[in-house]
Amino acid sequence: MPEQTLTASSPLDGFDKQYAEVALAEVSDRALVSIAVPLEGETALEEAVAKAYGASLPASGKSTMSEDGAVRFLGTQPDQFFALFDFEGNDAVGAIAGSLGQAGYYTDQSDNWAMLRLSGPLSRAALERICPLDLSPEIFAAGSVARTVMEHLGVIILCEEQDSFLLMSASSSAKSFLHALETSIENVL
Amino acid sequence: MSQRNRISGGLVEGGKPLGFSFNGKRFEGYAGDTLASALIANGRRLVARSFKYHRPRGIFSAGSEEPNALVQLRRGAHQEPNTRATVTELYDGLEAASQNHRGSLAFDLMAVNDLLSPLLSAGFYYKTFMWPKSFWEKVYEPIIRASAGLGRLSGDEDPDIYDKGFLHCDVLVVGGGPAGLAAALAAGRAGARVILADEDFLIGGRLNAETYDVDGMPGSQWASRTVEELSSLPNVRLMTRTTVYGAFDHGTYGAIERRTDHLASSNGKPRQVLWRVYSKRAILCAGATERPIAFGNNDRPGVMLAGSVRAYVNRWGAAPGRRVAIFTNNDDGWRTAHDLAAKGIDVTAVVDSRDQPALSHVSGAAVVTGGRVIDVSGRKGVATLKLAGGQSIEADCLAVAGGWNPNVHLTCHQRGVPQWRGDIAAFVPGDELAAGMIVAGAANGALTLGAALRQGSDAGATAATDTGHMAAPGSAPKSEDEARDIAAFWHVGESKRRAWLDLQNDVTVKDVQLAHREGFRSVEHLKRYTTLGMATDQGKTANIGAIAVMAELIGKSIPETGVTIFRPPYTPVPIGAFAGRSRGKDFRPTRLTPSHRWATEQNATFVETGSWLRAQWFPRNGETHWRQSVDREVLQTRASVGVCDVTTLGKIDVQGRDAAAFLNRVYANGFAKLAVGKTRYGLMLREDGMVMDDGTTARLSENHFVMTTTTANAAGVFRHMEFCRQCLWPGLDVHLISVSDQWAQIAVAGPNSRQLLQKVVDSVFDISNEGFPFMACGEITLCGGVPGRLFRISFSGELAYEVAVAARYGDALMRALMAAGEEFDAVPYGTEALGVMRVEKGHAAGNELNGQTTARDLSMGRMVSKKMDCIGNTLSERAELNREDGLALVGFVPVDRTDKLNGGAHFVSQSSDATTENDEGWMASVAFSPSLGHSIGLGFIERGTDRMGETVIAADPIRGRHIEVEIVSPHFVDPEGERLRA
Repeated sequence: MPEQTLTASSPLDGFDKQYAEVALAEVSDRALVSIAVPLEGETALEEAVAKAYGASLPASGKSTMSEDGAVRFLGTQPDQFFALFDFEGNDAVGAIAGSLGQAGYYTDQSDNWAMLRLSGPLSRAALERICPLDLSPEIFAAGSVARTVMEHLGVIILCEEQDSFLLMSASSSAKSFLHALETSIENVL
Repeated sequence: MSQRNRISGGLVEGGKPLGFSFNGKRFEGYAGDTLASALIANGRRLVARSFKYHRPRGIFSAGSEEPNALVQLRRGAHQEPNTRATVTELYDGLEAASQNHRGSLAFDLMAVNDLLSPLLSAGFYYKTFMWPKSFWEKVYEPIIRASAGLGRLSGDEDPDIYDKGFLHCDVLVVGGGPAGLAAALAAGRAGARVILADEDFLIGGRLNAETYDVDGMPGSQWASRTVEELSSLPNVRLMTRTTVYGAFDHGTYGAIERRTDHLASSNGKPRQVLWRVYSKRAILCAGATERPIAFGNNDRPGVMLAGSVRAYVNRWGAAPGRRVAIFTNNDDGWRTAHDLAAKGIDVTAVVDSRDQPALSHVSGAAVVTGGRVIDVSGRKGVATLKLAGGQSIEADCLAVAGGWNPNVHLTCHQRGVPQWRGDIAAFVPGDELAAGMIVAGAANGALTLGAALRQGSDAGATAATDTGHMAAPGSAPKSEDEARDIAAFWHVGESKRRAWLDLQNDVTVKDVQLAHREGFRSVEHLKRYTTLGMATDQGKTANIGAIAVMAELIGKSIPETGVTIFRPPYTPVPIGAFAGRSRGKDFRPTRLTPSHRWATEQNATFVETGSWLRAQWFPRNGETHWRQSVDREVLQTRASVGVCDVTTLGKIDVQGRDAAAFLNRVYANGFAKLAVGKTRYGLMLREDGMVMDDGTTARLSENHFVMTTTTANAAGVFRHMEFCRQCLWPGLDVHLISVSDQWAQIAVAGPNSRQLLQKVVDSVFDISNEGFPFMACGEITLCGGVPGRLFRISFSGELAYEVAVAARYGDALMRALMAAGEEFDAVPYGTEALGVMRVEKGHAAGNELNGQTTARDLSMGRMVSKKMDCIGNTLSERAELNREDGLALVGFVPVDRTDKLNGGAHFVSQSSDATTENDEGWMASVAFSPSLGHSIGLGFIERGTDRMGETVIAADPIRGRHIEVEIVSPHFVDPEGERLRA
């Protein structure tokens, strides 16, 4: 047995800050697994997802939820989905593959992305400073998801509910992304 | 002398006095004032000196078109030159100073230029500073620089912060005058998402400056009620102090919002925000700008635009004069007379250039129809006017009404060409507008209030309908259509004195005449030769008059003469606002490796590689030169074991039934037969046969590969492969996703690397040389069950591995490796030692894969498989790329081993001069090899592999060093590869 042990750390050290009318917090208890749709395998994957999760596959830009609300599927591109779910442990792919078998190709993305939740009435005003997308509630309703670029950084943005956004950006540049968000918040407070 | 020209009424708040200073003298104004209105209320007429002749100048207009009243605002690093007093909102404690004079404003020594004016005519610089050439830089330029410009920059860094942002709407309304308000109201009531942007701090435009009624109430009251209603609509966003400065593609507009310019301090918040507005429809309601008439000495302080005089009286309760004369060519001038009279201001004369009966009676005023002002006396302020008929008229202010120009600027930003409308003697928007743009109100030539309201309302309804909303028909606010007849009249020919066309650039009618005489016939040439229409006001009050004078001279009509092109920005936008928050370290994001914190604790020196910060070396106590650190890291790694974070390499997860076939096509060498559990070096070519990138790819299972790319090309290779997958071979079942940030990857190199790893890799995994040979890969667990991947690959040439764990464990893994490595004296090494070791080993890297080299040049020509098709295969066979005397990558050592090699040196034979014709290749990478004790290099030279042992010259003319070097094998260390297989 090796003498050394490995302790996990998150890219933003659990950042959590409450401002007036807006909160910004790192989310580090979720797993993110990409699911690629095999060529001509969409039906099989749809069936597998329906059977295992009672969910349909979302269109790009939308998300769906498993019946029990534990897994959200994000439509990220025509032949790719992300599964987002609460998870502790090191084998997130196993958790999905265990349910879907060989219906898709899975890649762990949990550590590829830092996740931040921006919530509160001022969250849209803050995002207006860096997000080129139209986030008004009628356009980007709860459940909407999009890939975009903020301050040169690729970002996946998910509207979890009215006034609450889950933002994912590359973990290596997470501190720059956090800085961009903090600056945006401070500039609109 | 407190506000001696303040009169009753207006929209300023008399109960809220604000103190300010101008040229150090204290004044008082009111909330709602601009600096200009407050100066007028305080009786200040002389506020500036002109650009070229240093003529005394006063406030000319009441808006962003102001050419004269440019002041320097604030102090210290906050100092801002060339600020228009007419759009500067007054705040308590405002400090302003006049600019462009030596000595005081009243006694400017540079006013001598005015006496020299015959010498300073159009094209003065071009004519005067031609000769002698030796004077250009030493004499002329310093003189020109010393006298150029208006205000002064502080020279300090801008202490304010700026931001930018993105807005989306169905309907963008540009301008909040009557048309804009009516448009916003119609579109907003219909439920469209509306943004109304107005450059003023008080929405209403001319409604606030006039005395017209709308819907049975004073126009300014209707404006404020409309603003109230619009504010109550959740789908409408009102943006004051916001100038839409440019119309860009696809309904995108640029807007600058001045957030704190009206405050004494920005309190750490962005001073200005630059917005990109995405609109489905845009309604341009930018209004119109009044234009002057050119006559002798028409630049005297107190000569003002008539509509502006009216605005100061009606909106700001500030009288620009107590005895005002009016010079007009249209009905609107008479309006000024009536508004002034209504405020009890003496109107001494109304001079109408039209030979027609007086429009109405103006009490106490001499009415001269068919009259012309030929001269104005009063050097520091209007005193007497002289008319063409010989009369003299006493006045302290001359209000000039030359007609109104629709503000068509934004209709031209997409190359729209304005059209002439004779009935209003002005250019209106042309037929070709930017996509989604509608123009309404005065900007569209609807110069009467009733028409502007109707057009605005209609445009708002149309835009709402176009964007899928139901607009209520026929709900335009009601108002009168006032008299607006005009007879075009541009300049007074009888004037003997200089008559100004462009006040900001001191361009006179004579200058245009001179330019014409000298052959400048195009308006664009006229503009460049005379500087007409340049600088902060961009000729808003000047261009049309100059075009008219030009048209007369060339005997063409005004539309035939044409206009210069309007380009963004409509009004000046600070460079700081364009930069936004992209300053200093925030210019671009920084990527950090998983071990960054640990490396910081080790006092690592970091280097930027792309957006990454990587540890370059790890200095230890007593090391005073980087080479000491790097040499130690190399020697210790080669002697025992070294550890280096290589996470920055691009990593791409490749999966699918056809993943192997796909890799076979994107790599030049074969991958189909790579066994599961093995890694292979891969060389990627561009379509043209040149080398694009290299890396290693490991086969984790039958349909699952993980590829590494160079750090620099990670994104480019991914993009290339996505293109191949989606566009070239959509029939292949292959899927890509970046895992560059998913995995922390650490290289462990050196003879003791296996022993070190055996201490952290869980013992169920056999990583012995037999169980895990060179180029093996596998999924493992470490430190009691943490999943990871192990690759037995070597960049250094040593027995080496790369071990990967989920990024969350990266910091911990680095610490664990260093702790476990203590017994081996394990050393962390940075990118510099990494580079030294790969040069020693003869591995190509970025310097060699620079886009100019082929596989053959890199001595890897045989890797390009001819049994299968791959990208770049065919074009790599081009004859020119396969010449017998082609380049080859070889090693170089200095003949005198104490010499230091220079990267970038070019090779020439010993008997040749160091000229381009004799160039045989170049030195790509150099390093000091601590293993060999001298400088070594990798480079490309013609027929290199056949020339081992030959001495050539590494010529470095830029650094002035030519040294003899010997061609050697590129493999300086362990050429047989025994170590890495150990």
